[in-house]
Amino acid sequence: MENLIVPGQIVSEKPQRAEGVYVENGKTYSAVMGLTHDERLVPLKGPYFPKGGDYIIGLVKESGFYGWMLDLHSPFEGKISSRDTRETFEIGDVVSAKVLSVDEVGEALLMQPRRFWGGEVMEIEPTKVPRVVGRNASMIALIKQHANCDVFVGQNGRIYLKGGNTALAAIAILKICNEAHVSGLTDRMALFLQSGGKE
Amino acid sequence: MSSKKLTEGDLIKDGKRLDGRGFEDLRPLKITAGVLKQAVGSALVEWGRNKAYAAVYGPHEVFPKHLTDTRKARINARYIMAPFSGLEEHSRSGPNRRSIEISKVAKHVFENVVLTHLFPKTMIDVHMEVVQSDGGTRIASITAASVALADAGIPMRDLVCGVSVGKVAGHMVLDPDKYEDNLGSSDIPMIFAPRNGEVLLYQMDGMLSKDEVRTAMEMAFSASKKIRALQEQALKKKYLEVFERIKTNENVPSAEPSEVQQG
Repeated sequence: MENLIVPGQIVSEKPQRAEGVYVENGKTYSAVMGLTHDERLVPLKGPYFPKGGDYIIGLVKESGFYGWMLDLHSPFEGKISSRDTRETFEIGDVVSAKVLSVDEVGEALLMQPRRFWGGEVMEIEPTKVPRVVGRNASMIALIKQHANCDVFVGQNGRIYLKGGNTALAAIAILKICNEAHVSGLTDRMALFLQSGGKE
Repeated sequence: MSSKKLTEGDLIKDGKRLDGRGFEDLRPLKITAGVLKQAVGSALVEWGRNKAYAAVYGPHEVFPKHLTDTRKARINARYIMAPFSGLEEHSRSGPNRRSIEISKVAKHVFENVVLTHLFPKTMIDVHMEVVQSDGGTRIASITAASVALADAGIPMRDLVCGVSVGKVAGHMVLDPDKYEDNLGSSDIPMIFAPRNGEVLLYQMDGMLSKDEVRTAMEMAFSASKKIRALQEQALKKKYLEVFERIKTNENVPSAEPSEVQQG
């Protein structure tokens, strides 16, 4: 695994704007641990930065006259304005929402809030979300097919599971997170799920 | 040998130091990343007889709230020596004058490498605990904390590491231990960002000539590259283990899939 790098190693001879890198003297260096592919860095670990258009799963942690503050499994918070919804929320509710915009201090303004009833929520590394979803949501389809449960993946690394074999889905997701950096993941997961979660 | 009778002259005999090292040898160094379950990132550095844990939490909401900086993350570094860590009598636990100073200089080290502007209105906790000490604990702690920060996935310009250089019986020696530090005439702990050679911490104790300082910095900088290599190894270990396990399983013509089909 020669493409595994740590902070301070060179990513590209040209400047880049991306997550997990910084530019010095016109060259791009890594700021976090990650894998490089074609002069691009894929971070292995790191916090979630809210971005416009993301669907996230938040936890209501505060309510005020303006609306509700949500914990986003991130250094930054999310805000639901009571003007934007006819629903009301309680502290502790699990809510999915779309990020409308992010202000200069990283706080996200959320839209289309939807409360979840029942089910389970698990947390993973936000950097592993693309691998859990898979290309064209193929990995999620695989898990849904074998575990027969509803899966909703928030971009912030929270996953909502409901019905069916949630234990199998959860184990499969943890396995994906653990092995996300090794190629051939889809094949391994197909084998794993076919065998019903036995290694 | 009673340590009370030891003098500076006893520390070097026939070009060797008390523990048998040459002048430019480091003590045995072992770095392990991800040793604490509860922390976001953690590391353990075992450096000679030193043992230092580092734990990183955050970025999270600032507490107390009035210290919030709306432009960047606040770094809260905390260096503590355990009361049982030294050879001397048990001391009082908690911060003292010395550890508050070291916490402060460690904070400045990390403020200069962590990309704090990415996390406005937040705080990053860096806790360094020395559980066993034998001279050079501040550099051991900062070396550990740097690995812990990278393990936590906090963006930073470079892994930082360093080493002290001391002057003992007229010789410049790398990485002095407790006796060399206490009895020697001078010592400088240094922390570098090895990629571009930035000096992030430099605290000279005692007197040195200009040439001696120059030698000291060269010795410390070349040693810091060795330490950085160990830091890298420690960080990569977790990912390489998973990689190796999967690759060896794949190369073995496994009977597992057919067994599953039969069952």
